[in-house]
Amino acid sequence: MSAHGVRGTAVSGSFRESVLFSVLIVFAGLVIEATTGGRGISLPQWPGNGIALALFFAGIVGTALSFREKRFVAWLGGIPLGISLIMALALLSFIGGVLPQEEGSGPLWARMMRLNGMFSSWPFALTVIFFLVNLGLSLVWKTVPFRFANLQFILFHAGFWIALSCGLVGAADLQRVIIPLYEGRSTSRGYDTVSKSTLDLPFSLHLEDFEMKQYSPQLALYDPGRDRLVPDDLQHVQDIAEGFGISWDTLSVRVERFLPHAMLDGAGEPVAADSAAGVPYVRVSGTSGRQSFSGWISTGSPFEAPAFISVGERLIVLVPGSPKKYRSSVIVRRGAESEGTPAVLEVNRPVDVMGWKLYQMGYDEKAGRWSTLSLVEGVRDPWLPFVYIGFFMILAGNALFFWKGMKKTRVL
Amino acid sequence: MTWVEFPYAALGAMACWAGGSVLSVMQGRNGSLKAPGLLLMLSGTAVITGFLVLFWAGIDRPPLRTLGETRLWYAVLIPLVGFLVEYRWKIGWLKYYCVVLASFFLAINLLYPDVYDKSLMPALQSGWFIPHVVVYLVGYVLLAASSAAAWHNIFRKKGGDRQNVHSLSHHLAVLGFVFLSFGLVFGALWAKEAWGHYWTWDPKETWALISWLGYLGYLHLYSMNVEKQRLQWYLALAFLVLLVCWFGVNYLPSAANSVHSYQSS
Repeated sequence: MSAHGVRGTAVSGSFRESVLFSVLIVFAGLVIEATTGGRGISLPQWPGNGIALALFFAGIVGTALSFREKRFVAWLGGIPLGISLIMALALLSFIGGVLPQEEGSGPLWARMMRLNGMFSSWPFALTVIFFLVNLGLSLVWKTVPFRFANLQFILFHAGFWIALSCGLVGAADLQRVIIPLYEGRSTSRGYDTVSKSTLDLPFSLHLEDFEMKQYSPQLALYDPGRDRLVPDDLQHVQDIAEGFGISWDTLSVRVERFLPHAMLDGAGEPVAADSAAGVPYVRVSGTSGRQSFSGWISTGSPFEAPAFISVGERLIVLVPGSPKKYRSSVIVRRGAESEGTPAVLEVNRPVDVMGWKLYQMGYDEKAGRWSTLSLVEGVRDPWLPFVYIGFFMILAGNALFFWKGMKKTRVL
Repeated sequence: MTWVEFPYAALGAMACWAGGSVLSVMQGRNGSLKAPGLLLMLSGTAVITGFLVLFWAGIDRPPLRTLGETRLWYAVLIPLVGFLVEYRWKIGWLKYYCVVLASFFLAINLLYPDVYDKSLMPALQSGWFIPHVVVYLVGYVLLAASSAAAWHNIFRKKGGDRQNVHSLSHHLAVLGFVFLSFGLVFGALWAKEAWGHYWTWDPKETWALISWLGYLGYLHLYSMNVEKQRLQWYLALAFLVLLVCWFGVNYLPSAANSVHSYQSS
């Protein structure tokens, strides 16, 4: 089932041309990079990118409708070239997926050809442009005149065209800023990590409270000589509870008492405290060979040194649990508003404010749950709705493809 | 249940699959061993499925976080594809490949035991977590079965109903591609909610795109009437790219800053 009537020997002939053409455009891209010092491609911002995309689209539609019978145009929108360009994209992505994609990384020759910035390089850009031409031409031919039977093809291919073109062209208008928030203070400035400049935002954020919940702390054996934790016999990441036992070869440890939140009293004994001020304390006893020991261990905090027990050259320590949830309670003031609205920022739960999406990004990791700093990321991506339309069209096309496939295989 | 009991379940399942396969292959003309053979193979899957259910109950979170946990799912699901194909299309040989693949993934878990860890980092606490990973798992399972069918087609003796067996690897690839597409888009939608952007060329994303493009290329080659026997090589080898995407990415130089490294550190 060939979309554009290329079959038999004509197919193998046009395949050779297609592969050669794809190799040539990748090579041309590499030559451009090598001669310009691997600077890559930078796209114009709005409205330049919008105009360029509109002209590109109009050019494809015009060519598809006016020159459909021309052999060259038929080849340009044909499956053999499509397959060759898909393979070229896969190959370039392969290079980008193996080599670290960081500025300044890799040997000089790789930097010169921008193999360390593959997805903003000329070989990638040229391949994508011709891929969009190929995809666009075949799409117009399948769409005009419209037939319901082609709906799955149209949804999938148009969705891919829209998502790919708007995603890449729209990247020029994408803004990502980091907004550092300190408890009890307001700010309306974000730091753009790409342009390394500060940006004034149309709203301000006041951090009321940063709050973190952690998983239970972990009993562990630390080897200072090798600076690493020794895995226990069962490789458990445990839930600490009174009576819990754990062992490493000839060393065995038992939990006598567990205080999730405690602080030392005047006599140096841990006593239960409220969750904001206390740190986890565990009283353990155990044996190492014939030697027995007991005592308190604790995770410590920025205000208090951790407590541990030495056993030979190793230490029994209490490792703080990993973060379970963290969130920032903020007051958002839009523009010159005097009264703000409260909002809670949490990982996976961004908040929309005046075209910006605000994300809970991080905190002061050294201070852990005592952090008074919350890092919020602000993202503005005006092209997002178009990319999402593309995504949903791809999904709709795939759902139809699935349905047809199931019908064909007589599963349903 | 925890990883501590895992070796018993894994070895039990593998023994059932092996025993059942031997009985099924040995079934004579009268087919008297067919039912016990199939029953034994199904018991193997029942054992490992039972372990998965109890393991899930034991860790209080979906066991979809570490590579070891996804391999466990694989071992549960891939023989099911083999059984379903036999049930629906009366093609019996696929299940042998499927249990071999499942045993292979269980063996990796036996050789490199996972750490038993209940924690689920905030980035994974999302409504997208289960749909994204499950859709990908089903896609991988179908494409693994497609690859197994393709290897079978490459090495089988000439003759027989070629059209039919070629169709099997193709249809499994078509279904697998659909799930791969859903997994990819779900991942992008989730990434937007969790990290602020739907596509950041993270190594795992890049490899997901490469494998998706690989199967996209296959579908277009298929539509061009390329000789079907040659396409079996394509399907057989395409799965290797998926394996790189699944767990090979962690060993690549590009993986240093990947946000997809959920292995316990």
